[in-house]
Amino acid sequence: MHPEAPVQAHHFEALGTNCSLFGIDLSRGKLLEGEFWVRRLGARLTRFAPDSELSHFNSSPGAWRDVSPELESLLRESLRAFETSAGLVNVAVLRSMEAVGYTRPLSEGRPVATERRACPVPALVEVLAVRRGAARLEPGAGIDLGGIAKGWMADRLRDSMGPNVLANLGGDLSAGGAGPAGDGWPVGIGGATVLLREQGAATSSVRRRRWGGEHHHLIDPRTGLPARTGLEEVSVVAANGVEAEVVAKTALLVGPELAPAYCAAHALAWWLSPEQ
Amino acid sequence: MRIVILKAGATLLTVAATVLSALYVTAHLKNPAAPLQPTVLNASRGASVSAPGGTLTLGPSVQPSTAHPVTSTYAS
Repeated sequence: MHPEAPVQAHHFEALGTNCSLFGIDLSRGKLLEGEFWVRRLGARLTRFAPDSELSHFNSSPGAWRDVSPELESLLRESLRAFETSAGLVNVAVLRSMEAVGYTRPLSEGRPVATERRACPVPALVEVLAVRRGAARLEPGAGIDLGGIAKGWMADRLRDSMGPNVLANLGGDLSAGGAGPAGDGWPVGIGGATVLLREQGAATSSVRRRRWGGEHHHLIDPRTGLPARTGLEEVSVVAANGVEAEVVAKTALLVGPELAPAYCAAHALAWWLSPEQ
Repeated sequence: MRIVILKAGATLLTVAATVLSALYVTAHLKNPAAPLQPTVLNASRGASVSAPGGTLTLGPSVQPSTAHPVTSTYAS
C-alpha cells in the first residue's frame, strides 16, 4: 500500500458555482494563482456581464472581431464539439436560453419563467467562423459557452499548475498525475468512487437550474426548448474535462435508448440516471 | 482493330488482377474467426452496477476504489 501524500485543497466560488483545486506538493500561492486565473477568465467569458469579452462578441455580429487566444481556443473547441456531437452540443443556444427566461445568473434570483415559445437554434457552423485571432458571428445568433468553458478551464489548470493536480470547476473536473496514493485521484461519480489519472469527468443534468416548473438550463438544439429526453442526469469519465462535458451532454440529449451505446463508444465510465 | 485489341487486353488484365487479388486475400485471412462487431458493443454490456437512481458502467481503463473521494462530479 502506497502511503498517502497530503493533499493541498483550495475551495472558492466562481463561474456561478463551487470550485475546488487539489494538488500534491503544491504551494498555497500556486493554488491562489489558479483561483485568480479562473476568476479573471470567468469574468471575460460570462454572458451575464455586459462588458465581458463574450458579451462584446455577441453584441457585434456580422463582422470579424478580434478575440483573445482563450476565446479563440474555446470557440474552436465549440465548433469541434458541435461536429463530434452531430450538432447536439451547440453553444449558439443563447437566444433560446433568453427565450425561456434564463437572462440572469441564478445567484441573482430565479429566472422569470416565460411562456414556452421555441426559439430555433441555428447550426453553429453556419453562424460562427473562427480564424487566427478573430471570429465572426452571424446576426441574430448568440453564444453561451456554458460547460465547455468550465471543462476547458479545468484542463488548462491541470496542465499548468503542476504534475499532480485535480481541478473541479462546478462538477467539470480534470485530473493529472498519480494522486495522493499513487494510483490516481479518487473521485465520486454516481455514488461510487473511481480513480482518475490524466482523465476528466463531467455531469450534465436537468435536475438543477430549474424554474417555473418545466424550465431548465439545458436546451435541446433540435427543439429550441429545455430538453426532455427520459434522462435527467449523465456523468461521464473521458480523456479530459472538455471531452467529458461534451459526451455527457450528448448522452443526455440522445436519451436512454441510445445513451448506453453512445457512452460505450465515447466514454471511459458513465452514470445514467433516468427521469424519476 | 489495334484499338479493340488494346481495350480487350486492358479489360482482361484488370479482371485477372481483381480475381487473383480476391483469391489471394481470401486464402490469407489473418484470423478467419475475427469478430466483425466492434468491441464497443461488448463494452456496453461490461461492468455495470445498478445503484439507487441509475446505472454506473466502468470501462477497463477506470478503476473503482474504496478510498474516500476528494471531490466528485456533480450538476451545478
